[in-house]
Amino acid sequence: MNGTMHRALAAAAAALLLALPGCTETLVEPKSTVTGANVFRDPGSYRAFLAKLYAGLVLTGQQGPAGRPDIQGIDEGFSQYLRQYWQMQELPTDEAVIGWGDAGLPELNTQLWSSLNQFFAAMYGRIFFQVAMANEFLRETTDQKLDERRVSDALRQQIRQYRAEARFLRALSYWHGIDLFGNIPLVTEDFPIGATPPPQSTREEIFAFVVAELNEIMGELPPPGAGEYGRADQGAASMLLAKLYMNAGVYTGQERYAEALAALEPVLNGPYRLDDDYRHLFLADNHTSPEIIFTLPQDGLRTQTWGGMTFLIHAPVGGAMSAADYGIDFGWGGPRVKPEVVALYEGGPGGPDQRSHLFFTEGQSLEVASIPSFTDGLALPKYRNVTSAGTPGSHPTFPDTDFPMFRLADAYLMYAEAVLRGGGGSRAQALDYVNQVRERAYGDTSGNITDAELTLDFILDERARELIWEAHRRTDLIRYGRFTGGDYLWSWKGGVQAGQATDAFRDLYPIPASEMLANPNLRQNPGY
Amino acid sequence: MGRIRRSLGVTLALLLLLAASPLAAQGPAGTIRGRVVDGSTQQPLPGVIVSVGERTTLTDTEGRYLIVGVPAGTHTVRAASLGYATASGEVAVVAGQSAALDFSLVPEALALRGIVVVGYGQQRARDVTGSVELVSVEEFNTGRVISAEQLIAAKVAGVNVIDTGEPGGGISLRVRGGTSVTSSNEPLIVVDGIPLAIGGGLSMGRNALNFLDPNDIASVTLLKDASATAIYGSRGANGVLLIQTKSAARGPEITYTSSFSISTVTRQPDVLSAEQFRRAVQEHAPEKLSMLGNANTDWRDAVQRRGQGQEHHLAFSGATDDLDYRFSLGYLEQNGVIEGSATERLSASLNYGQRFFDGRLSVRANVKGSRTKDALTPGGVLGAATTFAPTQPIRDENSPYGGFFEWEDALAPNNPVAELRLSTEEATIYRSIGSLEGEYRAPFLEGLSATLRLGYDVAKGERLRFYPSFLRWQVEQGIGGQVNRENPTQVSTLLEAFANYTTRLERYGAEVDLTAGYTYEESRGDYPSFLAQGLSFDLLGPNGVPAAAIERTFLTVEESRLISGFGRVNLTLADRYLMTLSLRRDGSSRFGPSRQWGTFPAASFAWWLSQEEFMQRLVPGADLKLRLSWGVNGNQAFPNYRAFSDYVISDPTAQVQFGDSFVTTIRPSAADPNIKWEETTSYNIGLDYGLFGGRLSGAIDVYRKDTEDLIFTVPVAAGTNLSNFVTTNIGSMKNEGVELSLSARILDGALGGLSWIGEFNAAYNRNELVRINPFAGGGEQILTGGIAGGVGNNIQVLKPGYPINSFFVFRHKRDAQGRPIYEDTNGDGTINEQDLYENVNGDALVNQDDRVPFESPAPDWILGHTSRLAYGGFDLSFTLRAHLGNYVYNNVASNQGHYRALRDGAPDNLHASVLETGFEEPQYFSDYYVEPASFLRMENLTLGYSFTRAGRPMRVFATVQNVFTLTEYSGVDPMAGVNGIDNDIYPRSRTFSGGISVRF
Repeated sequence: MNGTMHRALAAAAAALLLALPGCTETLVEPKSTVTGANVFRDPGSYRAFLAKLYAGLVLTGQQGPAGRPDIQGIDEGFSQYLRQYWQMQELPTDEAVIGWGDAGLPELNTQLWSSLNQFFAAMYGRIFFQVAMANEFLRETTDQKLDERRVSDALRQQIRQYRAEARFLRALSYWHGIDLFGNIPLVTEDFPIGATPPPQSTREEIFAFVVAELNEIMGELPPPGAGEYGRADQGAASMLLAKLYMNAGVYTGQERYAEALAALEPVLNGPYRLDDDYRHLFLADNHTSPEIIFTLPQDGLRTQTWGGMTFLIHAPVGGAMSAADYGIDFGWGGPRVKPEVVALYEGGPGGPDQRSHLFFTEGQSLEVASIPSFTDGLALPKYRNVTSAGTPGSHPTFPDTDFPMFRLADAYLMYAEAVLRGGGGSRAQALDYVNQVRERAYGDTSGNITDAELTLDFILDERARELIWEAHRRTDLIRYGRFTGGDYLWSWKGGVQAGQATDAFRDLYPIPASEMLANPNLRQNPGY
Repeated sequence: MGRIRRSLGVTLALLLLLAASPLAAQGPAGTIRGRVVDGSTQQPLPGVIVSVGERTTLTDTEGRYLIVGVPAGTHTVRAASLGYATASGEVAVVAGQSAALDFSLVPEALALRGIVVVGYGQQRARDVTGSVELVSVEEFNTGRVISAEQLIAAKVAGVNVIDTGEPGGGISLRVRGGTSVTSSNEPLIVVDGIPLAIGGGLSMGRNALNFLDPNDIASVTLLKDASATAIYGSRGANGVLLIQTKSAARGPEITYTSSFSISTVTRQPDVLSAEQFRRAVQEHAPEKLSMLGNANTDWRDAVQRRGQGQEHHLAFSGATDDLDYRFSLGYLEQNGVIEGSATERLSASLNYGQRFFDGRLSVRANVKGSRTKDALTPGGVLGAATTFAPTQPIRDENSPYGGFFEWEDALAPNNPVAELRLSTEEATIYRSIGSLEGEYRAPFLEGLSATLRLGYDVAKGERLRFYPSFLRWQVEQGIGGQVNRENPTQVSTLLEAFANYTTRLERYGAEVDLTAGYTYEESRGDYPSFLAQGLSFDLLGPNGVPAAAIERTFLTVEESRLISGFGRVNLTLADRYLMTLSLRRDGSSRFGPSRQWGTFPAASFAWWLSQEEFMQRLVPGADLKLRLSWGVNGNQAFPNYRAFSDYVISDPTAQVQFGDSFVTTIRPSAADPNIKWEETTSYNIGLDYGLFGGRLSGAIDVYRKDTEDLIFTVPVAAGTNLSNFVTTNIGSMKNEGVELSLSARILDGALGGLSWIGEFNAAYNRNELVRINPFAGGGEQILTGGIAGGVGNNIQVLKPGYPINSFFVFRHKRDAQGRPIYEDTNGDGTINEQDLYENVNGDALVNQDDRVPFESPAPDWILGHTSRLAYGGFDLSFTLRAHLGNYVYNNVASNQGHYRALRDGAPDNLHASVLETGFEEPQYFSDYYVEPASFLRMENLTLGYSFTRAGRPMRVFATVQNVFTLTEYSGVDPMAGVNGIDNDIYPRSRTFSGGISVRF
C-alpha cells in the first residue's frame, strides 16, 4: 500500500465518522396532541388543570358520565371518589345498609371485609389520583417553570391561589387517606413520576405534613366565604384543619382540641349562617344555601357522573317511593338506614325533630331482617334532585344537587365537642351553638337542651341526627371509641342482625391487596 | 436536517474524490473481466471468488468481475464458489486492454450455494453463520398472489403466513412465534434496502405490501435468528423479511404474463335451513311464530358470488456490460367471493443500474409506484348473513329501508343485502417507494467499498364511507345518513451510508469482512378526516357532502425518527471457522427521553465440520456446517409518544363548576417516561448439511427466544404516576422451537428427462408467557380475545405459565358419547353453570374462578412441502401446508348455537350445533366451542408447458389454489386469523387460474 491509499482510506473513515454523529437528535415532540410540552402555552390551561383537581372528587374521567377514565381496573361509576368515601364512612356504621350483591359490597355492611375488596382499591386509587394530580400541578407551576414560560404577573397572582387550592385538595385527600387506611406513603411534588415505589409514612408524619401545609397556604386563599362557588377558601381549609385536630388523638395519640377550636374561629366568625330550612341543604338549589362552607358541585347537563350525587339520590329510592318525587327517572333500590340511628330521633320518624321527617316509612320495616331486601329498614331520600320550589333538576338522571362536604352546623357541633373535651372555649357558646342547631331541627325552642344535658354522648347522637349520611359517621364513632368492639352494637355489626363485637383493628381499612403487590415497601395494617 | 445535508455533501464529495484517483494508477498491464452464471439456471452468481495467481476478486450482484493490473500473457483464471464445482479457464491478456472470460458453474448442493442478502450487504451462503433462508423466484407460490407474503407461505421453516382470504386483506407473518402482546408481532419488511414502517399507525392500507406487484420480486430472504437480525436492532425481534426486486441480467427482452382466475367459496357456516329453522321456532319459541315469515332465503348465498380476477404484467429489460434496466407495468383486478370486496392495483416499477469507471462506481435507481383501489364489505354483512332469519325475504316492497326487508327491532341483525347494496366503503391508496444508491469500490484497496443510499416511502390514501339515511341502522341510531372521509398521508425518508472492506490475510489464512454504517430515518403522518351526519339528502353518496346536521373534522399529525449506527465483522479462518459479530445502536423517538438509545449486539460462530479430515473420513462427501448464535433484538412497534403524558381535554358533560361558570378540565395521563423497546435475546444452534454430493441438503435449527420488558398496562404503586395503571415495560415471555428443512433433487433428469425437486420443512414452536408483573407473584391474568355475544366478553387469557392468548374456558361435563351435557344435574330446577361445568377449584360454587386456560390458537407444528417436477416442456408443482395442534374458538357456533337466539327480539337463525347440544341458553365460555383445527391443505397445484413459437419462448400454465383442506374443524376456515377466533371471518375460497407468459 502506498501513501495515497492510506490517505484515501483515512479520508473514507473520516467521512463515515463525520456522518455518524452528524445527526443524533432522536427526540420528537408530539405536535397534534396536547402534552406537558405545549399545554401551558395557553394561559387558560392553569385554570383548566386546577378544575381537574376539583373534578377528581366528583367525576370519574374526562367524559361525562363515564369514559376516558382517571383510574382503571374497576367500573368508573362504582369507583367514584365521593361514592366510595360515603360507602366506607356510612355502610359499616349504624347509619346505613346497602342491599346490592356486587362483589365486596355486602361485607361493607358488616365490617367483615378483606384486603381484596375492590372498593378499597378504588378509594385508595382515587385518593392517590388526587395526590398525583395535585403534585403534577405543583410541579408545573413552580416559579422556575412560570419564569421559563414568561407568565404574566396577573396570571401569576392567580396561580398563587391555584397552588394553595391544589395543596388544600391534596391535604383533603391525605386526610381521607390516613383516616381510612392509616399509614400510607407520603408522596409530594418532589417525588418524580415513574420513580421507584415510595416508602410508607406513618399517620403522624402525614398528619404533621397536612397540618403544616394548611397553615402555610391559609394566607394564599380567599377569606372565608369569599372564594368562588365550588372552590376552596379559608373557610374550607379551616374546617379541614379543625377536622384533623379534632381527630388528632386517633391519628397521632395526642389530643389537640385547643388547636381545633382555634382552627374553627375563622369559620365561626365568617359569613356563614345556618340555613333556615334544613332540607334546603340537600336540594337541587343548595348552592344558594348560606350554610355550606365547602361543596362538591354537580350539574345535570355539565357535570355528569354515575357516582357522587347521582348515586346518593338514585340509590336510596326504591320500594313504594315514587322516583319523580325526587326529580329522577328511576330509583336504584340500594341503601337504607339501620334501626339504631332511627331511635336517636325523639319520637322516631314523624316526631318533633323534623329532621326525622326525611325518613320514608311507607312499606318499609324499621328492622333490617334481610340486607338484600330494600323494604327492610327505613328509606332515607335525604338528597333530592328538586329545588326548594319543587322544580325538578335539569336532567332526570344526573342531578343538579351539590354535596355539602363541610357546613356550619358541623362546625357548631365540633366546637361544642372540643369545648366538652377540654379544649378551652366557652361552654355557654357551645350550648348556644347546639341549641341553634336544635332550634332549626324542631322549628322552635322545644328541643333546646340545658347545660346539664350538654354531654359528649349527646353531641355524638346530635351529630348522627344532624349529619346522617353526610359521610362523617365512621370517623365520629372511632373518635368516641365505639366503631369497633362491643360497647355499642347495631344491626349487622359483625355479621349478625343483633350485632356483635368486632375487632379493634377494623378501625382501619386494610391497604388494598393490589397495592401491597405494586408497592413492596408497604406493611399491611395489623390484623389483615 | 441541516446537519444531514452537510453529512451528505461530505460523503458525496468523498465518493467523487475516490472516483477520480484510480485513473492515475494504471500500469503496463491489462484487465480481465467477465461474468459468472449458474450453469443450470443461467442466473448471475455473485460472490464467486475469481482469482488469477495472487489476484483475487469477488463477483458483484450481476455476477460480474474485474481483475486489474494483470501482466500481459496467458493466465489461468479460477472461479470458485461453495456449492458449485470450481471452474477454470485460460485467457490471453494484452497490456492496456481488457480480456473477457465468462464462467458457467455447475451446482453442487442446493442449500449452500449462491449468495444471500443480509442486512446492509450480502454474503456467500457458505459463509452465513446465522439462520437465514432465501426463497427465490422459482420457488415462489403460484396462482393468484396479491401480496408478497403469500409467495413464501409454507416455504420457510418457522415462518407462518396467515392470510384472511379477502383480496387485499391483511396478512400476518409470524417468525418463530410472536414476541409481543401489546406491540406488533410482524417482522420488519425491507424492500430493496428500504425498511417499511410498521406499527405506530404508519402502515397504510390493509396490508403493508399491497402496493408491490409480486411479479417484480426476485427473492425473499428471511432473517430468523438474532445474529442475522441484530443488525436491524430495535426492529429485529420479530425477524426481518428482505425483499429484492428483479433487475435485468441479460440482453434486451420483453416479457408479458397474463392470467385469469375464478374463485369460489369452499365452506360456509353451518346454520339451519329455512325448514329446520321453522321447526326450531315451532318447538322452542312458539311465541315467535307470528314473526316467522314464509320465504326461503339463503342469506349466505345472497351475499356470495364467484370471484373473478385478471392480472397482466409487462416488463422491458436489458443489460449491457455497464448498465441494466428493467421497467415493468402491472395490473391486477380481483373480486372477492363476498360481494362488495375487491381490490385493483395498477403498478409500475423501474430498476436502473449503471456502472462507471470500469465498474468501480455502480449507481442504481429503484422506483416503484402503485395505485390500489379497495372495495370493502361493510362490517356487519357476514355476521348478518349468518344470523338473519332464513324465512324472511330479501326484498319488501313496502319497506321504508330502500325496499329491503328489515326487522323493527334495535337488537335484530340488519339485512345484509341491504347493507351491501346501499352503503359504500372504499379506499384508494397511492404509494411509491424508491431509492437511489451508489456503491463505490475503491481502486487503491481491493475489497473496500462505500455505499450511500437515499430512499423514500410516500403514501397517500383516501377512505370513503357512506351510509344513506334510510339504511336500517342509520334510522335505528337516529344518525340520519353519514359520510366519512379520511385522507391520510405518510412520508418516510431514509439516508444510509455504509462501508465494507473485505480482505484476505494470507499469513493467518483468514478472510475478514468489515461493515460499518449509519442510517437516519424520519416519518411523518398526517391524518385529516371528516364526519358528516344527518345528511339533508342521500343522492350524492360519498362524493359530496350536502348540508348536514353534524359536521366534524379531525386532524392528527405524528412524527417519528430513528437514528442508528451499526457495524459488523465477518471473519473466516482456515476456510472452516466462521465468526460474525455485529452491533447496532438505535436512537428512537418512541423511547423515553432517558432511554433514547439502545444497543443490540450479536455474535455467531460456524464451523465447517466437513472441512475437517476426521469428518471427511466419517461422512465422506458430505457438507456439514455447525452454527451457534446469540443476539439481542428489540421491538419498537408501539405507538408514538408513549413516553409523553398527554393532556386529555374533558367533554362538555365533564366540566367543573367554578362560581357561575363551568370550566373544561385538562388531565395529564399516566405515561412511563422511561418506556423503551421490548427486548428479545435469542439463542440458536443449527446444522446445515449437504449429502450425496449435494442432492440432499437442508438445515436443522434449535432456538430459544427470551423476551423481556414486554409492554403491559399494569397497576403501579400509588403516587408514582398519574393514574393507578400505567403502560410500561414489565412482562416477559419465551419461545422455543425446532426447525427442519430438507431439499432433495430426487430425480435429476436421468430417467428420460424427468426431474423432481422436493422440499420439506417443519417447525415446532412453544410459546409461554413467563410473567406479567414481577411484583404480583404470578397470580395475575389479563383477559383478552373479545367475542361476539354478550357485552365485553373475552375468551382468551394472558396468564403466566401458559401460551399467550390461551383459550380461557369452563370444562364442560360430557356425556358417554362425548357430547356436552345440558341438564339439571343438581336438581335445583334450573340449568346453569352449576350443572354444566366442572368445579375446578373445588369450592362451593362454579363461578368465574373455575375457568381454566385450555390450548391456544398457535399451532405446535407447521409443516410445508413443495414438489417441482419437469419433463420435457412440462412442469408441475404443488405446495402442501399443514398446521398441527392449533385450536379455534367457533364463535359462530357459540353465539348462535342456542335457542335463546330465537326468543330475544326477532328470531335469529341458529348454528346447527344446537341440534346436537340442545342449549337453551348461550354457553360462551364452554370448552365445547374450542375446536381442534389442525389441517392439511394443498395450497396450490400448477401445471405448465413451455415451448417456443416463432422463436419466442412461451409458457402456458394453470393453477388451482386451496385444492383441498382436510380438517376436523367445523367452521369455515381452520386458519381463523392469528387469534383463532372464528367470528364470521371471511370464508376461504378455491381459485382456478390460467395464463400465459411470453418472452420477446
